[in-house]
Amino acid sequence: MNRERFIRCRRDDWRQFELLTARMQVRGGSDLRSRDVADLARLYRSICYDLSLVQSREWGSRLEQYLNDLVAHGHNCLYRSPGVSLRSAASTFAREFPLLLRQQRVFLALAAGLFGLPLLVCMIVGFYRPDLAELVVGHQQLAETGREFTGAVFSRTDDTFAGQRTQMAGFYVRNNVGLAFRAYALGVFFGVGTVFTLLSNGILIGMTAGYIFYLGSPAATNFLGFVAPHSAFELTAIVFSGAAGLMLGTSTLIPGHQGRIQALQSSGRTSLALVVGAAVLLTVAAAIEAFVSPLPMPVEIRCGIGLFFWGALAVFLFRAVSDSGETNMHAPDADL
Amino acid sequence: MKSKDEAPLLSGCACLMGGSAKRRVDTRILVETPEGVDFEFVIAGPGKRCVACFADLLIRIAITGVCLFLWLMLFMFSASAFDFGIAVWLTIWFVTGWFYNSFFETVWNGQTPGKRLQNLRVVRANGTPISAAAALGRNFLRVADSQPAWFVGLYTAGLISMLCTRRLQRLGDVAFDTMVIDEGRDRIRRPIFLTDGVEALSSSECTRRYHVPERTLAIIERLFEGDRIVSEGRREQIAMLLSRALQERLGYQEPPVEYHRLPTLSTAPALKHTLFLKRVLKTFSEDFHSPRELGGSRSG
Repeated sequence: MNRERFIRCRRDDWRQFELLTARMQVRGGSDLRSRDVADLARLYRSICYDLSLVQSREWGSRLEQYLNDLVAHGHNCLYRSPGVSLRSAASTFAREFPLLLRQQRVFLALAAGLFGLPLLVCMIVGFYRPDLAELVVGHQQLAETGREFTGAVFSRTDDTFAGQRTQMAGFYVRNNVGLAFRAYALGVFFGVGTVFTLLSNGILIGMTAGYIFYLGSPAATNFLGFVAPHSAFELTAIVFSGAAGLMLGTSTLIPGHQGRIQALQSSGRTSLALVVGAAVLLTVAAAIEAFVSPLPMPVEIRCGIGLFFWGALAVFLFRAVSDSGETNMHAPDADL
Repeated sequence: MKSKDEAPLLSGCACLMGGSAKRRVDTRILVETPEGVDFEFVIAGPGKRCVACFADLLIRIAITGVCLFLWLMLFMFSASAFDFGIAVWLTIWFVTGWFYNSFFETVWNGQTPGKRLQNLRVVRANGTPISAAAALGRNFLRVADSQPAWFVGLYTAGLISMLCTRRLQRLGDVAFDTMVIDEGRDRIRRPIFLTDGVEALSSSECTRRYHVPERTLAIIERLFEGDRIVSEGRREQIAMLLSRALQERLGYQEPPVEYHRLPTLSTAPALKHTLFLKRVLKTFSEDFHSPRELGGSRSG
């Protein structure tokens, strides 16, 4: 068969395949009928054959490139992993997440230590030595934060300043969400970025909080009322994504038996689930900020809500991480 | 096309660092299908990806701008609505910053609006479509790629990572096993002006049947490329080698010299081999018109 005859008799098939793949790419194949699907598979196989024919006979680089693109498109259309519905993904996630927490509890503990310890220590230091807090955080910024929390925005619990409170809450949410995701991503650099982010933010937040508690009544109570409802979810989310970042860092630093890139890829998959968990917690925190923070409510109720959330989260985490959980019953004892 | 120049250079560096001498120095990646056929992907270079990224940034700005405008139009007359509006605006900007790319890459099979504009697509390293998890993960790691932070937007870490990997992957691509491919290639057309005023070989001139392969035609084209400084005489000398071989294969008989029209100094410089190669080019290189070029869709 010569080249011109070949092109003439195959051209219609190529055209049809191009149209089918285009439809597939745009709507994900939902509007393809069964005959189209059968055609797609048949055409793909025959075009693969055409490509190898053209390659072996050197029938022109343009023709080869065209068929190459067709095969590449078809490959992308045909060999896809089965689609996952949002619901099934969510249920799988809900089932697997506690297991993941247990498996990665070392990283979780490490991240909690790196973030929580400096936070607590600096809170105490900031409370007893406000001069040190000013040295660390910066005099101007501390003074401004203090003024914000003493101001009328928080003292008046009716909804005159609801808008401004939402704005401020939004600022803190964005700050913390950004902090959480950054702590994860920077883990790629051998974990240095994660450790640095967790430590520095633990110190910064702790010092600021300690200083505000030192300032006393109006500021401290306002601060407590402002922070309490969502703090449980936000701080836990930071620890989660910090742990995920540490996983990335460990895999690049100590890849073990795998190659460094392979180790990074496998830890990337597992750590991403932790980050998604963190994102869920952060969404909850943001929802609380958006709907609870603007409400006119006395400090006691806000703290009560906060305590309730902390308790619920602690129970969940304890049950997930402790060995007596029910998932342990499915462990394959027979293998031993 | 900036990337056309940059990408081979970069992959060339990548080859040097990779160490294998046999690797081809270009941005193509060979994938073998289960059908036993090899095909290639063209990896997108940093130039095109940068343009796509910038286009996405503009689109994000437009989206947030429209949202803020609508909000202000709806609640213009209440005082506290303005504060709410700012909060909403910042939140949308923030959320799109983290999830714009991964959302579109999941829904549009590896493309964002900017990538679609540049005909780029994110696929897994084996050529299959990207999963939602990979889309999410590779865009989370964008932060790491744009480090150091005071160079935001320059993607310094990402560029270094692209230099070191054969598939030009940034850190997010490496960690989640994806690559960005270039789907819209410029189809290189034959330079038509080359064969202007040259007549094709007729079958009466050639005694044998022979089809000049595409490879040879490409070599002839290279000889006439504008950027090489070759004098006509030298080109004729080079052309002679190829022309003789081709004439033999084709069984080409030189036309008998017409003595009443002898070439003089003014009418014809005797560049007969150059002319012959041009005639070969004219005869055997019909442009292949793909259905796409005949007026098909360029969708992808």
